[in-house]
Amino acid sequence: MLEKVFFGGKKEQQVTEKIRRHIEILHTAAECFKKALEERDKEQLYCVPDLEREADSIRREIVSAIYEGAFLPYLRSNICRFVEIVEEAFDRLEDAASVLENVGLSLDKEIEEDCITIADKNLKMSEMLLIAFDTLFGKDDLREKTLAIRIYEKQVDEIKVDLIKKMSETEVKNFWHGKMLSDFVSFLTRISDVIEDASDYLHIINISLR
Amino acid sequence: MTELIPLAACVLIAFGIGSNDTSNALGICIGCGVIRLQRAILLFGCFVVLGILLQGQKVMQTVGKNLVDVNLPIMSIALSVSAILIILSNWKKLPLSTHQVIIGSLAGAGVAAGVAVSFLNLLKIVLSWLISPLVAFFTALFLYRAMEKTISKLSLFRIERILRVLLLLSGILISYNTGANELATIVGPAIHSGLMERTPASLIGSLFVFLGAVLLSRRVIETIGKGITTLDPFSGFAAQFGAGICVLFFTFLGMPISTTYCIIGGISGVGMSKGMKTVKMDLIRKIIANWFLAPTLAFLLSYLIMKIIA
Repeated sequence: MLEKVFFGGKKEQQVTEKIRRHIEILHTAAECFKKALEERDKEQLYCVPDLEREADSIRREIVSAIYEGAFLPYLRSNICRFVEIVEEAFDRLEDAASVLENVGLSLDKEIEEDCITIADKNLKMSEMLLIAFDTLFGKDDLREKTLAIRIYEKQVDEIKVDLIKKMSETEVKNFWHGKMLSDFVSFLTRISDVIEDASDYLHIINISLR
Repeated sequence: MTELIPLAACVLIAFGIGSNDTSNALGICIGCGVIRLQRAILLFGCFVVLGILLQGQKVMQTVGKNLVDVNLPIMSIALSVSAILIILSNWKKLPLSTHQVIIGSLAGAGVAAGVAVSFLNLLKIVLSWLISPLVAFFTALFLYRAMEKTISKLSLFRIERILRVLLLLSGILISYNTGANELATIVGPAIHSGLMERTPASLIGSLFVFLGAVLLSRRVIETIGKGITTLDPFSGFAAQFGAGICVLFFTFLGMPISTTYCIIGGISGVGMSKGMKTVKMDLIRKIIANWFLAPTLAFLLSYLIMKIIA
């Protein structure tokens, strides 16, 4: 009884488990994407839209449960916003996967290595986001985790500058090939921005009841 | 037949308390989804009955016996004037304290009738009106600081859970005070004038508070419930519980004091912990003006009507 009163109701537990699952799926999708890029494996790439659909369905369940009364109203809008931001990361990952498929999984050697490095940073950031979310249940300092995410994001920004410079010096086959490469880099580098936004929202949620 | 006038006035005021004060007590809990409306009303009713039966006696004695030597004409005029003023203030959306109106009316009618009015007790009551918001201010401030040093250190989801329990406790305390202090102020004169016995008067008073809550509180609660999404439950609890403790303390002393003014004191206390600029001084000035206006108006009206009739 006391456990239920002081350590969380059924609705809240279900929602937090689903949010955790949502972030875990983001991590799995980022891992699939990185493998597909490294190994030029189309099968690996297909798991990204599949995982996005699964995550979308979980997002709907989370938002419904919150508006059915889970958590204090003061927290609800921030939690929903956090889940929507994570969903945006899925969308950008799916966009990047779609463009990668369109270019036949082959990138110019000059840029491929940088893209794999960015995909790896995205993977680490999603893992760190999951660790950051878990700190909401314990006594660990959330600021350390959000700081790590910010550092990863800064590294991605630095790689992006180099990448754009290299791309501008690369010859493209035609307009559409150039556009697809440009879109691919935009989507890929946007993922880290979105994960950083999500970690900022975690910080807001964490301090909102104090 | 003339006995029906004060009884009808009592019933009206009790009904008004039920319709308005349920939201004071449990509006936040309903808005936060801590408890459903029907359960909240039932809980409110139960704690009003408990409050008046367990602890209403001292306030009843102060208002009905120690302040004015109450008789039927005084009670008829004082409670009728109070009921009319409270209904008018609700209609015009001007917040008047039920306690201040009743005490002002009883004193006005008593002075006009030439019966013994204990000015010492009146002074004690007025002093308690002055001191109680300050006590609530410091209690809420202390509570907020204590919560910052204890609960605030816990993990987010545990804070959320604890706040739900604390908000419910706070609502229950305010419901209890509604019976022990507010309802006791209304039925006190009826009991000490010999119009009714204590237990039936308390139960009938509680019944009409409950009826007011069942029939008319829903809209007020919905308004508060919608508005609460923008409130911070952490400071909201500190202000409400600080006020609740303060009212309970004055109930022990037998002083009829306003929960609303204590909540205002509590909110100011929490606001002060975040800096003087967060307290809206214009609003505080309006509340102070109202604080003077309500008992003065009730006193003068009852005095004049009593003089005219007598």
